[in-house]
Amino acid sequence: MAEEVWKMQNRIRLVGFFMRYGTILALLVLFVSFTFLVPGFIDPENLMNILRQIALLLIIAEGFTMVLIIGELDLSFANVASLASVLVAGLIIREIPFGIAILITLLVGAAFGLVNGLLVTKIGISSLITTLATGIIASGLVYLYTKGVSFYGNMPEGFLYLGRGEILGIPFLVLIMLVVLLSAHFLITRTVTGTYMQATGGNPVAAYLAGIPTASYKLLGLIICSTLAAFTGVLLTSRLGAANPEGASGFLMEGFAIVLLGQTVFTLGQTTPVGTFVGALIIGIINNGLTLLGAQYYVQDIVKGLIMILSVVISSLYSKRERG
Amino acid sequence: MEILRTEKLTKDFPGVRALDQVDFSLRKGEIHGIVGENGAGKSTLVKVLSGVHQPSGGEIYLENERIAFHSPRDAMSYIGVVHQERELVPSFTGIQNLFLGQEIAAQGFLKKTRMRQIAEEFAKRFELPVELDVPTNRLSSGKQELLTTLKVLFRDPPILIFDEPTASLSDQESKALFNLIRTLKERGVSILYISHHLPEVIALSDRITVLRNGKKVITEEACKLQEKDLIRFMIAKDLAEQYPKRELTVGTPVFQVEDVSFESFPHRNIRFHVCSGEIVGFAGLVGSGRTELAKAIFTGMPLKQGSISLLGKKFESKSPRDSIQQGMVMIPENRRAEGIVSSFSVGENLVLPSLSDLCPLGLRRTGAIQSLGSKIIQQLSIKVVSLNQKVTKLSGGNQQKVSLGKWLEKHATLWIFDEPTQGIDVETKSEIYTIIGNLASKGGGIWFISSDLRELAAICDRIYVMYDYAIVAEFQRPFDPEQILKAMHGGRGVENAK
Repeated sequence: MAEEVWKMQNRIRLVGFFMRYGTILALLVLFVSFTFLVPGFIDPENLMNILRQIALLLIIAEGFTMVLIIGELDLSFANVASLASVLVAGLIIREIPFGIAILITLLVGAAFGLVNGLLVTKIGISSLITTLATGIIASGLVYLYTKGVSFYGNMPEGFLYLGRGEILGIPFLVLIMLVVLLSAHFLITRTVTGTYMQATGGNPVAAYLAGIPTASYKLLGLIICSTLAAFTGVLLTSRLGAANPEGASGFLMEGFAIVLLGQTVFTLGQTTPVGTFVGALIIGIINNGLTLLGAQYYVQDIVKGLIMILSVVISSLYSKRERG
Repeated sequence: MEILRTEKLTKDFPGVRALDQVDFSLRKGEIHGIVGENGAGKSTLVKVLSGVHQPSGGEIYLENERIAFHSPRDAMSYIGVVHQERELVPSFTGIQNLFLGQEIAAQGFLKKTRMRQIAEEFAKRFELPVELDVPTNRLSSGKQELLTTLKVLFRDPPILIFDEPTASLSDQESKALFNLIRTLKERGVSILYISHHLPEVIALSDRITVLRNGKKVITEEACKLQEKDLIRFMIAKDLAEQYPKRELTVGTPVFQVEDVSFESFPHRNIRFHVCSGEIVGFAGLVGSGRTELAKAIFTGMPLKQGSISLLGKKFESKSPRDSIQQGMVMIPENRRAEGIVSSFSVGENLVLPSLSDLCPLGLRRTGAIQSLGSKIIQQLSIKVVSLNQKVTKLSGGNQQKVSLGKWLEKHATLWIFDEPTQGIDVETKSEIYTIIGNLASKGGGIWFISSDLRELAAICDRIYVMYDYAIVAEFQRPFDPEQILKAMHGGRGVENAK
């Protein structure tokens, strides 16, 4: 009798766990099904491939994660990444040393974040409108700079190594991605700054009245986002060995998708760097598995959309039950 | 000739009996005033009558038939309520708002001319000076109030409740409203009129009911009542019983405000002081500027004139952060919106202001954070399962303790409490009084804002009264609640009691 009760309790706990972590469940189900369905999916080489495929997306999305944590929005990050991508290519083709070219590009990215942040905190424009506008400006600058053509040219080996090199069989991009992920996680969970960023997003009024300079933390979040976006643009150019004006525009929707998916991982609605990573893994695995299966890209999009809806539904069902 | 009657009407909230066996009757075509202090049960009565709350006991009769409203929608066509909150769509014009949800249309097309005609006739009939053609957010708050009234009238209910309708009206607008109410009465509408402004209630009403602590004290013909009678009925005699006793050890002034006015607030020539070990009460009606004064000083609003000093030093602040560093902390009125971060745990909320002191390197020191959290929980006996419990899972009283507890480690000189016991059960209330008393006896100065006169009179050492953004009176112990209440209502002739 007691044993049965215990078993039942265990089962309930297990169901509760999966309901609560519906997104992680989705990730596991995907992983297991692709392992059985798709020959070659489980190969270490392919798994590394998946990580490399999500690296750029995750780096840019971790920046966006910071913006959501401080309670604002950023619609400009993809365009800032495109701008950075063509800017760094243009500078390098003009034979500026690539270290300096990267530095200039990152500073331009940070400047976008600074402008966004000042408009939001000093003038009080909503971040949605501010970043929509600065995003359009960034896009305009891209075309001003490129006249709409892609940049090809000889790029130094050292620069190309960023996006293409490997260390002990691990792509350098994947290492960069892991460093960004761990730094973001460390910042949010282990530092005072991270706690204050969360407080700023959680309740700006209470945080302000508790003596936290909330405007500075908003500024910080927006600057991190734009700088990481510029960094992503640099890495994109390095990986492709070229830059085109629309190169990073796809990151906007995909970035939103994985961050929102990430919000369902732990506590519904809470943005976390690790949650964003889980979201990126799900999208990456779907893309990879379906490609190996020979599915068309539109099928992939439909499946991605369905998976997103499903995990949000499961998580919100659970959190409703918990509240009720 | 009773249109509405209640028998033993009772409403319980967790820990509080807001209405206690109230027998009340409203005659057809009468204006019936309801007065009482904050928390006496006036708004609860309105909410139960209009279907917002369900009664916990007792009956409501409408024209001798027992009724039960399950929602405001149920009640709408019988009982119209003009609230303080305006239920208008800001970007819509007056006409659009009046017809909201009951637009006149043919085949899905709005008949604008027809609606305009009806609305204009309607406004003319009641002689209300309201522009119906402009978006309502361009109207003054008084005009919006009149428009809201018009909207309620539109449904033509036989009973109308006015809940503090003149709070935001100019004199001229108030007059228009009084005329409207008298016109309605002549047309046979029965009216419940709730207000803080006693002279207004006496002048307007046929009968007046006084509530106190959720109980009905008396219902009397208005012509037999004077303001001082009402005040006497409103105040309980058994002051200072459930409040903890405290030894008085008032020291020297620690906080002095000299002749202060602000750039962006209407306060005029504010002058007061708080001594160490002293609890200084701030009484005043909602809208008298008490909260705004505290917030303006704490958040460092620029001064137009005057000076402020804390512990003998000039107090200069541009943000809460500056104020906290100089030894001033504030426990805001609306704890959910301003006092706690609801996505955080109890522990995180408790250490929030001390975090950068606790972790000088900027890295979270889990041990130090937990021990500070546990220490505060123990000191204030906050009822929690663990430090990691979500703060929103706590009761209101315990949330208030968290909102207050986060400042304990700061050892502030001046503590500002804004309505610290609002919506809190009786037991926790008296615990909070004890905590505040202890803070004072340790030498802190307490600036205590409250709408509860009993509370103020019981725990404060001195009371200032604010009216219309100015300090109009100062009272010393022993307090005369009648005089304080009079000053709160703008009664002149109350001179400095010194």
